[in-house]
Amino acid sequence: MSESLERGLNKLRSQIDPQVRSFFSTCVHCGICAETCLFFTETRDPRYTPIYKTEPLRKLWRQEYTFWGKLAGKLGITDPLTEQDLADWETLVYDGCSMCGRCSMVCPLGIDISKIIFKVKTGLATAGYSPKDLAETTQRAVDIGSPMGVKIGALQAQIKHIEDDINLKIPIDVEQADYMALLSSMEIMYFPEYISALAQIFNHAGVSWTLCSEAFEATNSGLQIGNTEVAGVLVERIVAGAEKLKVKNVISPECGHAYTAIRWEGPNFIGRPYSFKVVHILELLDELQQSGRLKLAGMETERLTFHDPCSIVRRGGIDSEPRNLLRSFTENFVEMTEHGTMNWCCGGGGGVNSNERAEPVKLQAFNRKKSQLDELDVETIVTSCSNCRLVIEEGLEANDMDINIVGLTEMLAEHLVDGTAH
Amino acid sequence: MKFLSIFALLLFVATPLAGFAAEDDKVHQGIFVENPGTDLWRDVRQRNFAMEGSSQVKSVDSNILINPQGDEWARFRVGVLVRFASITLVIITGLLLLHYVTGGRMKIEGGRSGRVLLRFSDFERVAHWTLAIIFLFLAITGLMLLFGRPVLIPLFGHELFSLLASASKEGHNLIGPIFLVSLVLVLVRFVTRNIYASGDLNWLLKGGGLFGRSHVSSGFFNLGEKAWYWILILAGLVISVSGVILVMPNFGQGREIMEMSHKVHSIAAIVLIAVSMGHIYLATAGTEGTLEGMKTGYVDLKWAETHHDQWAQECQDKNLTISSEEFARLQGKAVDKSSTVAKEQG
Amino acid sequence: MGSIIDGSLWYFSLTVFVIGVVWNLVRIVFGKRKADFSIPRDSAVAGALRTLISRFIPDRHMLPRISLQVVAGYMFHLGLFVLLFFAAPHVRFLDEHILGFGWSPAPHWLFIVSAQFAFLGLIMLWLHRVINVVSRLISDRGDHIAAILTFVVMLTGCLALLETFNELRLLHRLSVELWLIYFPFSRLMHAFTFVPSRMFTGAWFGRRGVGS
Repeated sequence: MSESLERGLNKLRSQIDPQVRSFFSTCVHCGICAETCLFFTETRDPRYTPIYKTEPLRKLWRQEYTFWGKLAGKLGITDPLTEQDLADWETLVYDGCSMCGRCSMVCPLGIDISKIIFKVKTGLATAGYSPKDLAETTQRAVDIGSPMGVKIGALQAQIKHIEDDINLKIPIDVEQADYMALLSSMEIMYFPEYISALAQIFNHAGVSWTLCSEAFEATNSGLQIGNTEVAGVLVERIVAGAEKLKVKNVISPECGHAYTAIRWEGPNFIGRPYSFKVVHILELLDELQQSGRLKLAGMETERLTFHDPCSIVRRGGIDSEPRNLLRSFTENFVEMTEHGTMNWCCGGGGGVNSNERAEPVKLQAFNRKKSQLDELDVETIVTSCSNCRLVIEEGLEANDMDINIVGLTEMLAEHLVDGTAH
Repeated sequence: MKFLSIFALLLFVATPLAGFAAEDDKVHQGIFVENPGTDLWRDVRQRNFAMEGSSQVKSVDSNILINPQGDEWARFRVGVLVRFASITLVIITGLLLLHYVTGGRMKIEGGRSGRVLLRFSDFERVAHWTLAIIFLFLAITGLMLLFGRPVLIPLFGHELFSLLASASKEGHNLIGPIFLVSLVLVLVRFVTRNIYASGDLNWLLKGGGLFGRSHVSSGFFNLGEKAWYWILILAGLVISVSGVILVMPNFGQGREIMEMSHKVHSIAAIVLIAVSMGHIYLATAGTEGTLEGMKTGYVDLKWAETHHDQWAQECQDKNLTISSEEFARLQGKAVDKSSTVAKEQG
Repeated sequence: MGSIIDGSLWYFSLTVFVIGVVWNLVRIVFGKRKADFSIPRDSAVAGALRTLISRFIPDRHMLPRISLQVVAGYMFHLGLFVLLFFAAPHVRFLDEHILGFGWSPAPHWLFIVSAQFAFLGLIMLWLHRVINVVSRLISDRGDHIAAILTFVVMLTGCLALLETFNELRLLHRLSVELWLIYFPFSRLMHAFTFVPSRMFTGAWFGRRGVGS
């Protein structure tokens, strides 16, 4: 057995906790989870069945934690987890699962399947079975500080542009600000509108905020690839930045997995609680709106819908906030049939979008979103995750669909009374 | 009084000989003593019909002391019915064997194509096999009850048979009503494909291709399959209704209805068992590639062209055939690298 | 043979069942878990209780695609529940041999109807398991053994319905004993572990403020 396989197996072993034991001994293999998974429904390939993706961990559990497995071991008829198994499951888990967590909502036995799939990822990553692209972005995130290789210089250049554009100062490294905002590289590179929207809204509402030059990147490739050590290193950087600037709160950007990484898993990655609070930008905006600190004018009239980013809504509980906000400046907001916590994923979460190899299956999975959109006949999709936004843009283009897609924060900024709104 | 009762009893036992007794009376014309019980017993048992009297017991048929039709039914049960059942089952078995050994097994014309098409959905297959399992259970337990006296008692002895009979009866009665439920599932699911269509008669005239090698055109189901479907549905419904009458004697049905139900129930069941044997034979040993449709849901295109060419053509026109690689993928087998998932030990 | 089935094997199987189930549950409920350092948005306890109940009801939009599992699943489980705890012979048995008290059993017709539901449900569920590609792929030997063993228990019970032949009663009891012994080592454990599983997941969702 190779050393990396041994390490991978040990990692997998360490993932078997009482919950996993409960989940595995509960699963009756009914197959209901398959119908919740867009990779299955759009390909009809039974190997995409969510619980099937957990097979490596299940196999290990069966051999080392169950009576029959131990008995077989004593009799010398084990069927150990092999390199081949890990290689096979690498494609299933990284290319064929967006960690959207829909399966975990529907399992009648209450099994949190996507949580187990993440545990499988940690084992695969440790054994060296992860997609090349993801491994590279993870390396870049560790070395450079951003999965896309965005350095502070690039951010400063964008900020300069934005400041000229909106005539507002964007605070950097301001100590003891109430809020330290984080960004995702995608926002910096593709959607700088988000940064200008933040500046306008916070200026409008009088929020004391700052960016941190040493910790502006919110995304966490460690989480996507399943490397908890790297995830911890990346979270530590943010914690160090926030502690250095002595801020009270850290704002998670719209980006979905960043929210999971910094808000929910972060303290566990580093093994201790934070000295500050983490809020998602939509939570903060909703709070500002509720307390009357946002004066909005004008209503969007086009027919629009909201795409729920899985990590923020289904796995993050921010369900009512985007809807409250949208209703305050839109007239024709319609919901997809399955929305909120039962929304269908765009198909590109969980690192799938950063994984070139998964491109064909990702586009196939997008058909689910396409049919949801076809039912609605909307002009605009609003969302609050730059990754969803990129995936949907790509999907719309591939399917020749003429629909706009915008971020919720920037759309709201356009309706500020003294903003640059129309 | 004692004498009278013994005399009455003798008379009762001798009832079947009553006809002869009447003639004897003429021969021995001694002192004629009118038997005071004669009228009573004549009234009680009026040869051909059950006579009603009155009784303190208030329940169905409680006013009838002796039911002469019961004798007739019992004779039918151990005689005609058993003979009919054994002859039918032996003949059908013989015919099927004959068909098989004379090389009647129908092969796929020109071999497999490697392209397959969906014939039966998951639900259709579940409905079919549910009906099949329940039918087999009921057929076995029913035949055990029917052939108790002539076959099982000589084989196992009275003691073991009484146990088997009790088990069979309880099992048959409990599972029976589920048959109706699964029959309705099959009825509803397959009815539209089993309506007579033009061209079906032609299939019949050519003997369904069962004999010889001629190619016979057909749609999704051929007339033979449609006939089997309707026999199943009609006989199945008759069996179910008569079975419910027998198993739930609380709707006021009397002996006469029960006897009639039993006759209908058993004859229809024998017919259905015989025809089902033909169905099972044709779907397994009798034709190549047919069972796959009920196992995986998919059949080979060449199979479809051999047996159901019109349906095969329709599917090809609609582009519904898939390659064997795609089929393997849909079965969860498509892996670039040869991978196998270990199955649990235990 | 009869005295073993009624005596020592019965006590053995009951012991294995009770100790096995309790041991499994203790390891799950009291096993060491990592602390969660994130600040909850909402109550974990409320979430756990909510999910424990909510998962009895299938998702409305999913239902058409999983109706067979749901309908057959409910038929089987409800049928078996009534059959197990409210059939007159079972109530009598529990009263005389285990609990020392009884309750009023279901009328005979309900007993029979629930058995019919359970049989039809179990047959359809098992057929779905071997017919549907997804369940066929993920099912293993343990699933089939559990299903078949349960079927045998129900069938022997059904054959012994007349309650006249001691041999049939013993056959039923023997199959029950095998089932009890197999229970803690098998998929059958889900009858108990669905509770901690749902509550773990519910608590997790609850902390994050997700209605699950």
